[in-house]
Amino acid sequence: MKKLLGLALGILTAIGGFVDIGDLVTNAVVGSRFGLSLVWVVAVGVVGICLFAEMSGRVAAVSGRATFEIIRERLGPRAAGANLAASFAINLLTLTAEIGGIALALHLASSIEPRLWIPVAALAVWLVLWRVKFSIMENVVGLLGLLLIGFAVALFLLGPDWGELAAQVARPSLPEGEHAASYWFYAVALFGAAMTPYEVFFFSSGAVEERWTRKDLSQNRLNVLTGFPLGGLLSVAIAGCAAVVLMPRGIEVSSLSQIVLPVAQAGGTLLMAVVIVGIVAATFGAALETALSSGYTLAQYFGWSWGKFRRTVRAARFHLSMIVALLLGVGILMTSVDPIAVTEMSVVFSAVALPLTYVPILVVANDPEYMGDHVNGRVANGLGSVYLVIVLLAAVAAIPLMIATGAGS
Amino acid sequence: MTGGGRARRCGAALIASLLTLTLCGCVASRQQPGQAGAAVESALELASSAVETTTLTVTLLDDDRLTSAVADTAIADQIGELADASAALTTLVPPDDDSASARADGLDAVAQATAAVVAARAFVARDAGAELSDAGEVPADASAAVDLLDTASEAIDALLGQG
Repeated sequence: MKKLLGLALGILTAIGGFVDIGDLVTNAVVGSRFGLSLVWVVAVGVVGICLFAEMSGRVAAVSGRATFEIIRERLGPRAAGANLAASFAINLLTLTAEIGGIALALHLASSIEPRLWIPVAALAVWLVLWRVKFSIMENVVGLLGLLLIGFAVALFLLGPDWGELAAQVARPSLPEGEHAASYWFYAVALFGAAMTPYEVFFFSSGAVEERWTRKDLSQNRLNVLTGFPLGGLLSVAIAGCAAVVLMPRGIEVSSLSQIVLPVAQAGGTLLMAVVIVGIVAATFGAALETALSSGYTLAQYFGWSWGKFRRTVRAARFHLSMIVALLLGVGILMTSVDPIAVTEMSVVFSAVALPLTYVPILVVANDPEYMGDHVNGRVANGLGSVYLVIVLLAAVAAIPLMIATGAGS
Repeated sequence: MTGGGRARRCGAALIASLLTLTLCGCVASRQQPGQAGAAVESALELASSAVETTTLTVTLLDDDRLTSAVADTAIADQIGELADASAALTTLVPPDDDSASARADGLDAVAQATAAVVAARAFVARDAGAELSDAGEVPADASAAVDLLDTASEAIDALLGQG
């Protein structure tokens, strides 16, 4: 019974932890402009993140070491250094976006200026990182993030023409007035949002934090293969709500406040409040994960002592790097930069950095020296190779598309 | 050539380039007629989206499906969008009479939309219990606020239809 509960908890936290500010904003923008015609990208992204998260979890469970430690050892300091530079920069951008997301969600609930919420949000993130146990932290924010299921409830309550929505999914086409370049720009952004690099660093380091062994491989697979696809359905529900309510009115999503309007229309103030709490939890959880990922990548590259399972004083540089990352994030946001713009930038640049994150994972997962008889099978390698091509295409296309479309405008 | 000499030459070339750019630079903000038309259309679409968002917000608030805090935030966000639309039009340098006329009409429509959205925000504040002076022309009820928004929306749609 206890084991079953553990499995259910793992899956639920994977669902609740899947959506972050990048998914929220990008899916709502896409839903309001392109309907459900980009759902196929979410599906491609979810399969990709399942594939690589499973690999990195397996690497951690089998070797007892996090992905980044092995990447440096296996590929040398130069290649790992390039990986570190790209991953840390994207992590920082994503962390900034998540703190901004918390502030915007609290602004939405309270009408108090988001700039006043930014330091409060960062302080709360730091306190949790400092004081709360890893498993409690992961489970609480993951379960609260499940409240985003309110978007799926809202979609059903709105009573849309399901045939029309299914047609948008099955036969993707450009809505009138939209340009093909914008469509592909958002396709890359959605892909970047679904496959954000911090997720795999957090996943593999989290496996070490929770002291996974080979015995946990089946739980790893179940969490990833059930939790992430269900989390992907939440993303589709967010796009669906925007497609049903905002798109017919010609409303283009440019702020978090617009994202909750379809929910309010469907379920009134109660459902809207549930979803706002879900947004705070999802962005807060992602801020914790990205802050941790910043500490993990730096500490694992430089060989510092790391992990929340250690007493703070035993992993001082790991904790200090998280504090510095948080302060940098707050500093960027206090320049009055629009958090939504930071979010849009973070998902696009995530797409650019994807190859640097995922190529080394595929290399390590195929190394029998680390993996023994748990190296990738044929299916994982076949899919991994296909995804490397997709990831490379997305990385190459991201910046030209951003310039050509004025970031999708 | 020594390293110091090369550095001095590079520095002199850089200064000369900057002086040339400063003294002979041309105005780069002037646009082609097609670009100007697209910029006006883009600004009007932004304004239209802001007005529609505000209309939806006021309607939901009137139906008790939205809290005042969320409504206030949603409308404040749209005022920011309208400021962006207005800035896009005011910084446009029209290359011909048609573009100049389209920009002037666009500015009028965005100003009307801004007034309607600002009035809707005042209505939301009064609905939440704030004591406001009548000099601010606060709509008496939700339908009055929506009427103002509808009029602004029609003006924008008419211009978008012409384009």
